[in-house]
Amino acid sequence: MIGLKGTLNIIDNSGALVAECVNVLKQKVNNGWGSVGDEIVVVVQRARPVSAAASASVTAVKVRRGDVRRAVIVRTRKPVRRPDGRLIRFDDNAAVLLNNKREMLGTRIGGVVSADLRMKGWGKIASLAPKVI
Amino acid sequence: MKVEIDSFSGFRIYPSKGKLFVRGDSKVFRFASSKNASLFLQRKNPRKIAWTQVYRRMHKKGITEEVAKKRSRRTVKHQRGIVGADLSAIAAKRNQTAAQRSQLRLSAIQKAKTEKKEKEVKKAKPARSTGAAGPKVSKQQMKGGKGR
Repeated sequence: MIGLKGTLNIIDNSGALVAECVNVLKQKVNNGWGSVGDEIVVVVQRARPVSAAASASVTAVKVRRGDVRRAVIVRTRKPVRRPDGRLIRFDDNAAVLLNNKREMLGTRIGGVVSADLRMKGWGKIASLAPKVI
Repeated sequence: MKVEIDSFSGFRIYPSKGKLFVRGDSKVFRFASSKNASLFLQRKNPRKIAWTQVYRRMHKKGITEEVAKKRSRRTVKHQRGIVGADLSAIAAKRNQTAAQRSQLRLSAIQKAKTEKKEKEVKKAKPARSTGAAGPKVSKQQMKGGKGR
């Protein structure tokens, strides 16, 4: 349940660490709240420092503090109901940054993601994650 | 569908029931009811709460199926003959006294020594005769090679 001002951990290697939600993109009905698999607009609040040595490599920091980006929610503290009836909840809210073509900005994901992502058409993110629950 | 086990109380969780909790270290916990989830999140120890399976098993409550002690198979020594020595021969060897054994050994050594001497005597004669005879032809020559 991510809304305006909600903070999320960014778990890809784009360089951002924490981001704040500033808008939840509309779907048919979400009433202003985003859940797993929903796209949001975020402002990067904390990012890894940019170092000159790493800027050429693959692990280069691609965002800095204050950047406005699209992101997709991958974990929520709010329990989400699965089609089989069970509820699943995580310990934190987390997201993965996207570019304006709805592709991942980073190349790697460090952490668990919800299996609901695959259902909602984010199969690529689910397949990159080390663990899908 | 699989029946899961509650990670706090040990209750069974039937399909469509229960909650899954994924902790920060990506460990998964399953709860059958909100009571279990709540107690877990309060960091209560299930070993100290009387109605959980862990407690009941610890304090031997109710008709718990005894975890039968695993009987480890003990290897039993069994004697039987092996190649070249049947059981009676082995038994005879085992029942020798030390004196008998040393005596046997001594006699065996003596026998071996005498045999060796005889052999050397036999060997000495033919060795000389064969050494001188035979033309000095290398194998190469025999085969029709250049014989360098």
